[in-house]
Amino acid sequence: MKRTLPLVLTFIVGLIMVGEFFIPHHGYREMTKELLEWGVIIAAGAFLLGVVNLIQVNWPVIRERRPEWIYKVAMMVALVGTLIAGFIGGESRLDQGQGFKWLFDYMFVPLNATMFSLLAFFIASAAFRAFRARNTEATVMLVAAALVMLAAVPVGASIPGVGEYLVAIKNWIMSVPNNAARRAIFIGAALGAIATGLRVILGLERTHLGGD
Amino acid sequence: MIDGVTSMELLGLWISIFFTFSILSFLYEDNPVYKLGEHVFMGIGIGLGTVEAWYGVFKPKMVDRLLEESHYWSFVPVLLLILLFMKLSPKLADWARIPIAFVVAAFAGVKLTGEANGRLVAQVAASMPDLPALYEKHGWWNWEADGAGVISGLVLVLGLCACLLHFYFSAPHNKPMRAISRVGVLTLMLSFGASFGFTVMGRISLAIGRAEDLLGFSQPPGNITVLGTEMTRMSGMRWMTILTLLGFIAALAAWKRSGGGHQEPPAQATGE
Amino acid sequence: MLKALVRFQSMDRRWVFLGMAFSIVIPMLMPWSCSFQVDRPVRALYEQVDALEAGDTVFVSADFDPASRPELEPFYRANLHHLFQKDVNVVMGTLWPTAPPLVLPIFEEIAESYGKEYGEDWAFLGYTEGRELAIKSIGASVRKSFPKDSRGNNTAELPIMAGLDGASDFDMIISVSAGFPGTQAYVLQIQGQYNLNMISACTAVSAPDYIAYFDAGQLTGLSGGMPGSAQYESLVFADGPPEGARLMATPNMNVLNLGHLYIILLIIMGNIAYFITRAAGVES
Repeated sequence: MKRTLPLVLTFIVGLIMVGEFFIPHHGYREMTKELLEWGVIIAAGAFLLGVVNLIQVNWPVIRERRPEWIYKVAMMVALVGTLIAGFIGGESRLDQGQGFKWLFDYMFVPLNATMFSLLAFFIASAAFRAFRARNTEATVMLVAAALVMLAAVPVGASIPGVGEYLVAIKNWIMSVPNNAARRAIFIGAALGAIATGLRVILGLERTHLGGD
Repeated sequence: MIDGVTSMELLGLWISIFFTFSILSFLYEDNPVYKLGEHVFMGIGIGLGTVEAWYGVFKPKMVDRLLEESHYWSFVPVLLLILLFMKLSPKLADWARIPIAFVVAAFAGVKLTGEANGRLVAQVAASMPDLPALYEKHGWWNWEADGAGVISGLVLVLGLCACLLHFYFSAPHNKPMRAISRVGVLTLMLSFGASFGFTVMGRISLAIGRAEDLLGFSQPPGNITVLGTEMTRMSGMRWMTILTLLGFIAALAAWKRSGGGHQEPPAQATGE
Repeated sequence: MLKALVRFQSMDRRWVFLGMAFSIVIPMLMPWSCSFQVDRPVRALYEQVDALEAGDTVFVSADFDPASRPELEPFYRANLHHLFQKDVNVVMGTLWPTAPPLVLPIFEEIAESYGKEYGEDWAFLGYTEGRELAIKSIGASVRKSFPKDSRGNNTAELPIMAGLDGASDFDMIISVSAGFPGTQAYVLQIQGQYNLNMISACTAVSAPDYIAYFDAGQLTGLSGGMPGSAQYESLVFADGPPEGARLMATPNMNVLNLGHLYIILLIIMGNIAYFITRAAGVES
């Protein structure tokens, strides 16, 4: 019963969702619209579950003063502060002058943007240290990368005599070998996703239900 | 307040520059200020997601539908949510399988049809070029159209087949298959090289955005007062950036001197 | 010399970081301009939007965050200008929780600059969660996906939504996408099922993937990364940006110039050092 009911539910819901693509019947569509909304609500609920779990994991670290507990305090303060600002603001939380908007503009934006901008520096370091033409394959990849980098920016296109050919070759690489490789990857991924989807719906794949 | 710059906005600008450098300080070394910035980022990000989940999902789709529209079917997701939260209790965790099964099945169903239609059927159909039409439009090779033509059409199809064969592991590769597989690998390498080029472009763009903000290019027109001196917002932003950067350099130097971070091991004493 | 090359290959990466920082800051402080040409997918995107008529309604899915602002915000702004210049109605929603505080103020600012009325000419429906399920729901019914707009009004009662429900009721779907969920999920889940006219602006990292969708006709236009945004800006603002607006991506193309040249130089120098030390039999 512990596993049978979820497996039966998986089969029924999975089949209904597959049918959504093929069956245009109005009543069926109304049913699937409702089911999709339930799925959206549960997916959002799973996010909330993650938040509760985060607090469950970090609260003992703070209470027992384990290493780096002070940073967990900072995280909790930021979390609670954002929640308070958001719920006080209500539907006008996104308006200029609201605490929630201030937190977003002056704390979240610089933190989020800078965190990702670190990647520019790391990719430079990776390119210098690891990108070596050790064999034919690596050489092909290196030449393609250099060509695309040069042709994708105005300076490459402006090189007298060869600029327009560089751009044409870059566009050719994107439209032909890149497309060929991407499509091969897409087709393989699609076959895998179809197989996995079928396995889940038919109950052959049960890892999402956990152990007994 | 000067020209519409409120004290909260000025405080916000200082804080935004502080947090920018707190994250950038990681490029020097992992340090307490970076860790602070990282944890604050996580806290705000999760708080933001929770607030938006309430106003975007729970309130309009569940609460308002129940209370304002008396849509009684909305009790079902309420019940499913309650079952989901039972995951937090070791005794009742098994009940959470029901909403998990529901959502996993829904995702499996939509992904199955989506991948089959969007990636399998559409992409295979697009990989069968109409060679006579290509010849009529572009000939064998047309530089004006970035190399479009019959040759490119054939390279696309053959490259695709070679890549697919390279990924076929159900039978051992004999000599002809190995040769075709090598063509597939070279095609993949061209694609990954192009990917790398675009990835570099994307990453540098992210850093450009931060530099723009720090150098004041994204500031609106107007004046601001920094440490008692009135100046344009762009200049003000630059001065605030320079002062904060100098402060960080001094703080990191002091932290290193006091024994913080990775220290070089002391030289081994030689001899007995 | 060999020792120097070995030390060069294993030099502290912080010097590389410093070089990267200079290659970004210097061209910003000493700008120079280089012209650029417009790629085929961006031109196709521009032409698709230009073909819209006054009174048409588009659905924009603005799915980006502060991290992807430099690549996508220029396109997003230019696209809104383009749409409002043509008196196209714009309904917007998002699948990313970090998007509303970012995209709504810009939407409001540009709509109001064209004298557009909320609820009649433009509407922001807010955020919904659920990834592929949310997109499938948008395909079936935008009203059900976003029962209330960001101001708490019933979506179905907004004048702009009169006669519009499923994604296929809109004249175009515009996906401004920084990742997942975004363009790819829209293409896979609903573009084919409802035969939607769909264009996309994506980050440079995703562009090599989405080119395949563009060439297959699943996307009728594609703008990739900052160069795509700059090219689109150059088409929309061919006579210069309107008052209060500025070109955002175009000046940054010059910064990309030096950034890319720096990376190419690093790769070349690293490989030269590698080959010399390898030929000499020295382990680097």
